[in-house]
Amino acid sequence: MKFWKDLFKKKTLGGICLIILLFFVFVAIFADVLAPTKLVGHMLPMDVRNRLVAPFTSAAHPLGTDQLGMDLLSYMIYGARTSVILCVCCTVLSTLVSLVIGVLSAVIGGWFDLIVQRIVDAFGCIPQMLLLLLMMSLMGNGIPQMIIALSVPSGIGGSRMVRSAAISVKDSGYCDNSDLLGGSVLWKCVKHVVPNIMPLIIISAAGSLGGVVLMEASMNFLGYGVAPGTPSWGALITGEGRDMLFTAPWLCIIPGIAIALLTFTSSMFGDAVRDILDPRLRGGVGSYNSKKLDKVVKMLKEKEDEFEEDMGDIA
Amino acid sequence: MLKYTVKRILLLIPTLFLVCLIVFMLLRFIPGDAVDAIVTRMTQAGQTVDADAVRAKLGMDKPAIQQFFIWMGQILRGDLGDSFFQYRSVQSIVNKQIPVSLELGIISLVLSNVISIPLGLYCAAHQDSISDYVIRVIAVIFMSVPMFWIATLVLFYPAHWWGYAPPVKFVSFFENPIKNMQMFLVPGILGALAQAGMQLRLVRTQVLDTLRQDYVRTAYAKGVKQKRVLHHHAFRNAMIPVITIIGGSVGALVGGNVILENIFNIPGIGSQIVTALGQRDYPVVEGCVLVMSVFVMIVNLIVDLCYKWIDPRVKFD
Repeated sequence: MKFWKDLFKKKTLGGICLIILLFFVFVAIFADVLAPTKLVGHMLPMDVRNRLVAPFTSAAHPLGTDQLGMDLLSYMIYGARTSVILCVCCTVLSTLVSLVIGVLSAVIGGWFDLIVQRIVDAFGCIPQMLLLLLMMSLMGNGIPQMIIALSVPSGIGGSRMVRSAAISVKDSGYCDNSDLLGGSVLWKCVKHVVPNIMPLIIISAAGSLGGVVLMEASMNFLGYGVAPGTPSWGALITGEGRDMLFTAPWLCIIPGIAIALLTFTSSMFGDAVRDILDPRLRGGVGSYNSKKLDKVVKMLKEKEDEFEEDMGDIA
Repeated sequence: MLKYTVKRILLLIPTLFLVCLIVFMLLRFIPGDAVDAIVTRMTQAGQTVDADAVRAKLGMDKPAIQQFFIWMGQILRGDLGDSFFQYRSVQSIVNKQIPVSLELGIISLVLSNVISIPLGLYCAAHQDSISDYVIRVIAVIFMSVPMFWIATLVLFYPAHWWGYAPPVKFVSFFENPIKNMQMFLVPGILGALAQAGMQLRLVRTQVLDTLRQDYVRTAYAKGVKQKRVLHHHAFRNAMIPVITIIGGSVGALVGGNVILENIFNIPGIGSQIVTALGQRDYPVVEGCVLVMSVFVMIVNLIVDLCYKWIDPRVKFD
């Protein structure tokens, strides 16, 4: 409860970003209701009489149409669904992967840890983009494949941080006691380690929220992305948007802005979450800068003056 | 220190083996192989070819495990194999293309550090001021804008409006520095922006964290000027996580610039890998990914060894 209060009171920008994010989620869930033209099968219907309508010129197509007369607003709304599904699923899955690997590696320790860490190292050495390309060409295009390809490598990468946090928890007294009382490894993980590293996990999950949409768009650019025909902002930019950059610039600019907006709000929200939950960054004692110092100096001067006046009175 | 270094270098060996295994397995599970591509191409050209003969010639008739160990044996002898399609060895491809990617990566790296570190320090020193907010918001915008999108716009619109386009043919820096820079500067800046945004935020957070330490309060209490506190007390202590991120970004900047190389037609190793992956040219993909992974490993090792130099309190165990 205090978290939400802090979010809207102290980190207003983060709160606003949360509302925008919720708006995207709302659009994604109710896409079928909100879109002016509905999906037929998996495609948006064509309207050949209204080809390449510019945005804000027609009431029927507020954001314009593409070269086949597809309504851009509906496309953007259905594209939001793709992006939100990817965002949520990838974040959850990659957090789970890093949690399982990191916590087990830390708690079991020994040989298991050594071997698992070598595998994690090996994945960390292969540049991420190349790993993604390899995995996507292995699995083919599509949303479930993208979710796996985007979340497994980043989850493996994130497990290092989880592991180091879990190790510091594992070495504490209550974990040793749990050992003495005969608690199993799983019990120790679920009951003691995971709840104690939860803030860290939430922070990193919130921070990774924004990157997913950006990666999805980049993968589409290289030809590895969602299945052809699925509405996706990235696919629109790299497909028609780029082909018709001069005749229909809105096909490139509008989805670009949408991607940037979603990434921006998720990053800012992630920032706010970190600022509130990370104990090292909570304001209060010891945050110094020149402005505050001036204030302190002024205050001390006043006190000194008062003190001297008092001394004068006494004398 | 020496013991730690030796231990780290020894640990590189199993990691390297695992990298080979992962890349090899991922590649062999990809549907469709080079033989299919070659046969299709030859048939289209009107020749009849025997798929099995091609397979045997490329050494792909053997079981995958045997192929893996043959490849490992080659690598141990310092031979990365030959390309299936390009009539040259993987070694020559790597030799030719690594410097190109490296140049792009170095330009991005230098620019991102030049932008991010001073601005990050400034933001931390003026926490919650208007300039702090503005710089941070701009940083997040740089991080959120899809790079390929802005690169496309930057490439196409100047060409449309002023008829300017960067040179298409690659020229080495030592042959013609001006032409080379014309080609590399714009993609270098674009590559640096997202990285700079991320680093700036990191520098800011870390410096803020150190500014809350007791020794900083002590320094202020002694009457040390703010500039000196920032430079001598806060900055150096804040640098360790920043160095980690910079080290981590080297790999991404050299290997992750596939998109920029693609858009600006730069013959780097990333675009080479994408082409080879499409053709199922196994030796090229395996060789290039391996070389880049080794590069990342070495950078990571150097970064880890640097900790001691930056922060004398760090003890290697």
